[in-house]
Amino acid sequence: MQAQTRQADRTAAQAAGTMVTRCWSCRGPVAEGAPFCPTCAAVQPPGQADHFARLGLPRGFGVDAADLDRRYFALQRQLHPDRFATRSAHERALSQQQATALNDAYETLKDPLRRADCLLKLSGQDVVAEGCNLVNDPELLMEAMERREALAEAGSTVEVDAITRATRADVAACVGGLAAAFSAGDLAAAGRLTTRLKYLQKLVDETRVRKLQLRG
Amino acid sequence: MAYSDKVVDHYENPRNVGSLDKDSTNVGTGLVGAPACGDVMKLQILVNEQGIIEDAKFKTFGCGSAIASSSLVTEWVKGKTLEEAVSIKNTEIAQHLALPPVKIHCSVLAEDAIKAAVSDYRKKRVTKAAE
Repeated sequence: MQAQTRQADRTAAQAAGTMVTRCWSCRGPVAEGAPFCPTCAAVQPPGQADHFARLGLPRGFGVDAADLDRRYFALQRQLHPDRFATRSAHERALSQQQATALNDAYETLKDPLRRADCLLKLSGQDVVAEGCNLVNDPELLMEAMERREALAEAGSTVEVDAITRATRADVAACVGGLAAAFSAGDLAAAGRLTTRLKYLQKLVDETRVRKLQLRG
Repeated sequence: MAYSDKVVDHYENPRNVGSLDKDSTNVGTGLVGAPACGDVMKLQILVNEQGIIEDAKFKTFGCGSAIASSSLVTEWVKGKTLEEAVSIKNTEIAQHLALPPVKIHCSVLAEDAIKAAVSDYRKKRVTKAAE
């Protein structure tokens, strides 16, 4: 019976295109990214699952915030290290790793910019790599430079607020554009919009700094 | 992470901040950015008839290392030929300012900015000669 279940699990996991690993406790098959062994219910190491798989979501830019919250809190309840206080050191360590990986996945998918970055990375289009990745988009750079100059020259908090409002509207439009680009499978456009979003969010952050300077 | 004294000096007393007329045929403008940190850097050169860089200005919105790298480059390129200016290596900038490994990309940005400014200037001259 148990062998049959295992076979069924393995087939289901293979059909879904996921990798199957072995449970460290009972040696049964576990789909990559599954937090618990379906056979013996032991907590598993976080493994290599991507952020979407970890939260049981399909890869895509359209993520419903309420659904994401529900999934996250349900999993976090099961995986919270407090629930493993009386378990073995190994299980405590695994639950800690799982909780950390889950937090990371949640924080990434919740934020449109990080979500877009993550999707591009998963598609092999690493636009915002660490280190010396240069922007090769004169129009975008010109816009960024002009806006930063306008902000530096803003002489009152009222002027800064106007820049903040305009930038937030642009952020919203940019996020809308990203949803359209990803659903059309246009990764080049998604890459450009992700870089633009990065600059726009940086500008929003800087408006806060500028306001503090003007108040001080 | 502590900035080196040289970075702090350029950050607190940046050299050659400002703009040159980007529409002038004697001016080359380089505009570059690093998406990872949302930095943007503008570097401009004024070139005389002998092909010598007479003046350089920069405007950088970014971290202290990015500001120091661009400030230093404007000092270095003055009086140089275009060939000499494009031969400036990011490693020399990073070494001079004692940039830590995580800030090396700021010196890459400055090297790219001067290259972009020179290529913008050369493009303008070709267009002018064709007219």
